Amino acid sequence: MNALPDRFRPEGASLSPPGDGRILAERLSRRYAARITGSIVMPATTGSYVPLPDNLPPVLAAALRQRGITRLYSHQAEAWAASQAREHVAIVTPTASGKTLCYTLPVLAAALQERAKALYLFPTKALAQDQLAELLELNAAGQLGVKAFTFDGDTPGDARQAVRVHGDIVISNPDMLHQAILPHHTKWAQFFESLRYVVIDEVHSYRGVFGSHVANVIRRLQRVCAFYGVSPQFILCSATIGNPRGHAEALIERPVHCITASGAPSGERHVLLWNPPVVNADLGLRASARSQTNRIARLAIKSGLKTLVFASSRTLVEVLTKYLKDVFDHDPRKLPRIRAYRGGYLPRERRAAERDMRAGHVDGIVSTSALELGVDIGALDVVVLNGYPGSVAGTWQRLGRAGRRQRAALGVLVASSDPLDQYLVRHPEFFRDATPEHARIAPDQALILLDHIRCAAFELPFGDGENFGPVDAVPWLEVLAGEGVLHREGERWEWIADSYPAGAVSLRSVADGNFVVVDRSAGRQNIIAEVDFTAAAVTLYEGAIHMVQSVPYQVERLDWEGRKAYVTRTHVDYYTDAIDYSRLKVLDCFDHAACGAGQAGHGEVHVVRHVAGYKKIRYYTHENIGYGPVNLPDQELHTTAVWWQLPQVLLDAVFADRQQTLDGFMGAASALHLVATVTVMAESRDLQKSVGSSDGAWFASTNPRGHSRVHGSDDGQRATPGAEPAFTPTVYLYDAFPGGVGLSAPLFDRRDELLARALELVQGCDCRGGCPACVGPVLAMDEGATHTPKMLALQVLNLLAHG
Amino acid sequence: MSPLPNHLRELRREAGARHTTAPASIPWAPMPSPSLPAHLQRLLQLRTHRSGTLGTPPSTDREVPGEEIAPGLHYTEAWMDWPPPAASIDARFARVGEPVARAHLLHFDTETTGLAGGTGTRAFMIGAADWIDSRLRVRQLTITSMAAETTMLRMFAGWLHTQSVLVSYNGKSYDAPLLATRYRLARLPNPLIGLRHLDLLHPVRRHWKGVWANCRLATAEHRLLGVVREDDLPGAQAPAAWLHYLRGGSAANLRRVLQHNAQDLKSLAGILACLAGMDDRAG
Repeated sequence: MNALPDRFRPEGASLSPPGDGRILAERLSRRYAARITGSIVMPATTGSYVPLPDNLPPVLAAALRQRGITRLYSHQAEAWAASQAREHVAIVTPTASGKTLCYTLPVLAAALQERAKALYLFPTKALAQDQLAELLELNAAGQLGVKAFTFDGDTPGDARQAVRVHGDIVISNPDMLHQAILPHHTKWAQFFESLRYVVIDEVHSYRGVFGSHVANVIRRLQRVCAFYGVSPQFILCSATIGNPRGHAEALIERPVHCITASGAPSGERHVLLWNPPVVNADLGLRASARSQTNRIARLAIKSGLKTLVFASSRTLVEVLTKYLKDVFDHDPRKLPRIRAYRGGYLPRERRAAERDMRAGHVDGIVSTSALELGVDIGALDVVVLNGYPGSVAGTWQRLGRAGRRQRAALGVLVASSDPLDQYLVRHPEFFRDATPEHARIAPDQALILLDHIRCAAFELPFGDGENFGPVDAVPWLEVLAGEGVLHREGERWEWIADSYPAGAVSLRSVADGNFVVVDRSAGRQNIIAEVDFTAAAVTLYEGAIHMVQSVPYQVERLDWEGRKAYVTRTHVDYYTDAIDYSRLKVLDCFDHAACGAGQAGHGEVHVVRHVAGYKKIRYYTHENIGYGPVNLPDQELHTTAVWWQLPQVLLDAVFADRQQTLDGFMGAASALHLVATVTVMAESRDLQKSVGSSDGAWFASTNPRGHSRVHGSDDGQRATPGAEPAFTPTVYLYDAFPGGVGLSAPLFDRRDELLARALELVQGCDCRGGCPACVGPVLAMDEGATHTPKMLALQVLNLLAHG
Repeated sequence: MSPLPNHLRELRREAGARHTTAPASIPWAPMPSPSLPAHLQRLLQLRTHRSGTLGTPPSTDREVPGEEIAPGLHYTEAWMDWPPPAASIDARFARVGEPVARAHLLHFDTETTGLAGGTGTRAFMIGAADWIDSRLRVRQLTITSMAAETTMLRMFAGWLHTQSVLVSYNGKSYDAPLLATRYRLARLPNPLIGLRHLDLLHPVRRHWKGVWANCRLATAEHRLLGVVREDDLPGAQAPAAWLHYLRGGSAANLRRVLQHNAQDLKSLAGILACLAGMDDRAG
């Protein structure tokens, strides 16, 4: 990623061509002022350069010059120096800042000087292919003779031996390392014996469950390396996240030299936050994000700007592509100006699309998140996001796709009707000021840890007193011995089972038991999706509308034991939302603190989830248009949670009755859940909310008429809350995975910030009495009521925030 | 039952694992603490009581044949009258151009802890047969402890020399790579590297694929040599037989594994003689 030609143009010259991002931003701001809720301008920065380091091997320096690289950005030089000082390095600089060269230089130098080997890990195959192409170019330019191969699921069996023996640089992914390389490490013995560098790119994508698994795969890698007497240096790269050093060190469990100051120049950047116009004021109905995205992209392409559109689903990509092609590609004699790029295309098609984009033949690209990561597609002027990608860091990453050194770039975030989108677009300051989210991992999560100690014991026997990462392995080994997979003899624990444990562990989930979704439309049986066990009960009940790439399917039969959901294609204007009652009981309070007039805590909880039925909700209006029953076994969960509660005396004094108190807590829970999801970079389904009493005696749910009501632990329903003498309603936010994946601790640490944000969300919402974007779905009849759900939620939040 | 395994089992059940039954009769002491780190502490102190028998009833029948030549390593040797091939064998059937001296042949077969592959599968028995003059000598190494594996590997390496020609049935794909892994894990040089290797599965397939129901060794020995095995322990049960013994159980089935392995070696030698006497019809 060293678009060098730009560097040799005069710096700082403000020779903006007639069409650039700034001019388009100004035009849009004039014409659509009412739709633009926020506008951010980031000035251009100049580059910071240093000469090629003296200790670079001369052949490598010559190869760089051959490719037109005569100097380095300052961060590239810093990475070189740190790697030569044998430090582990993390590089966290913006998209297109030349991160690749940061690790290419030390890796190639070591290969040339010592025939040392390197392992590259990328989260996707497409990125691995990109890297390979780039390495081969530099290799060819300098006739370096370094051999680089990809090793992934597509590598044919007969080529694998050659990769293992001859590869100086092996480019793979964490899943292959976990399932194919480590369990067969003896076949890679020569490779491991000379392994000098492990390069892990896009480490920001290794967070949550996936990241916790990857951290354990790295523990196993280090263990195998130790067997071969090597201790490779790690070079990590990341897009911008809030805790780059912390995250890098959590992943490799070693001190890391963190480089965050980019020496690459960047052009001026404009960002607009765009809310589609209201088309029906009574229903609060807005125009679709799709229509707005289409309009903005059309204007940009007409202005001669290279434009990239991100859409959330494959279908949406195809729809938007069609709209743009209708305008720009109606002449079949000319080369197409618009291209779609998404998963599901054959690799060859994708490579061709990437080549066309790099060559500048394409004026408009419509893509799913497949392009989010570092796939090189050349310089762009405008990025339009059709919907909020789910995190601030992810939004900046996609917006960062646009940017040339001498032209202003423009990014537009078009909000959808999703509550998260609406929150973001109404809080432009969140974008301007918020530090990007922290990436979190919990490598010692009990189930994940047990899985990887199992895999590690298969790879090499454990000895008594041996640690796995920082964890004393022995208690876990005893558990595995109890299962009969390990045999203890003397001080050693040996693998004894006839099984291949890595084959049963997916890095992308906590445990097995995934459900498959089988499409029975047209008399055939196609597996169209897989759903985590933990999500199955709330998404695959009979009658549920299950969306796959925004195509709706209806669940006709759920085979709970067989882990299958049978669906057929359907055409409906609603989606379904499970009515699930969660009853929580605090088992162990790790920490607590005063919080306004109440208290906040965090600890281990027992959750029983019961799905009682589902609502049918019409798109856009969020009208409740019907109900259905669900009959499924209760789900039990031991996990971690953060919670807030207020004393009974105070509540009795402030609220007219307990019904209102409960309504207030339900609304507060919605708002806290929303801002918490934004804050910890979680998928909203990974974090769940609940309102109940702290001892699990009762819990609340929203009834079909929009009122909260109370259920006892016997599942019997009580008409009015407050029959109990003790009444301490509690808002819980809990990790939806068994054992938790570490979401709740940071929420507890940031409890004041969460309350402030939740309060501000509800206060600042344009709605009158409450809406899905703040306190959750509200029925029309509540709008004229004296105590609106919004007011009640505000009271609860105020008591928690200020007392 | 200790809280840690229980806690884990509970979490796995919640995560959707379908088979979470505990192996029976593990003598965990009950402990009351509810939080995980506390469990670990307690477990660390209560580690010594583990017996690891996993419900295997202790047996008095612990007789493993042969001589215990090192702790946990048993050696058997038997001499058999078996029709020998010619002193110089035409090995073109296995696409080896030069003739092979009968005296250089080393037939070998391992019995392993499973078929899963990777670093977690080991050989607990290595059998080898060679021709001494015109009698077949069958030698077998069996380990009854994990620690004896390295000695077994060294011993087997001592049976090989640069002239040796390996003979196996699917050994190129299975036994040889498995042993390569074991030598690597034991930090020993791999003695199989560079040796010629006649894997009889391939010529048998070339001749009889589609003619016989399958080309397994049992089929080939029956068709070509008329071998009928009695009371044979199926190869698939060998891992369980060894594990049972390792956990303190009876050696009865382990002895049957030895017999099974010895018959495999005899059959290998017989099939080789048979193939060497044929024209190489498949080219």
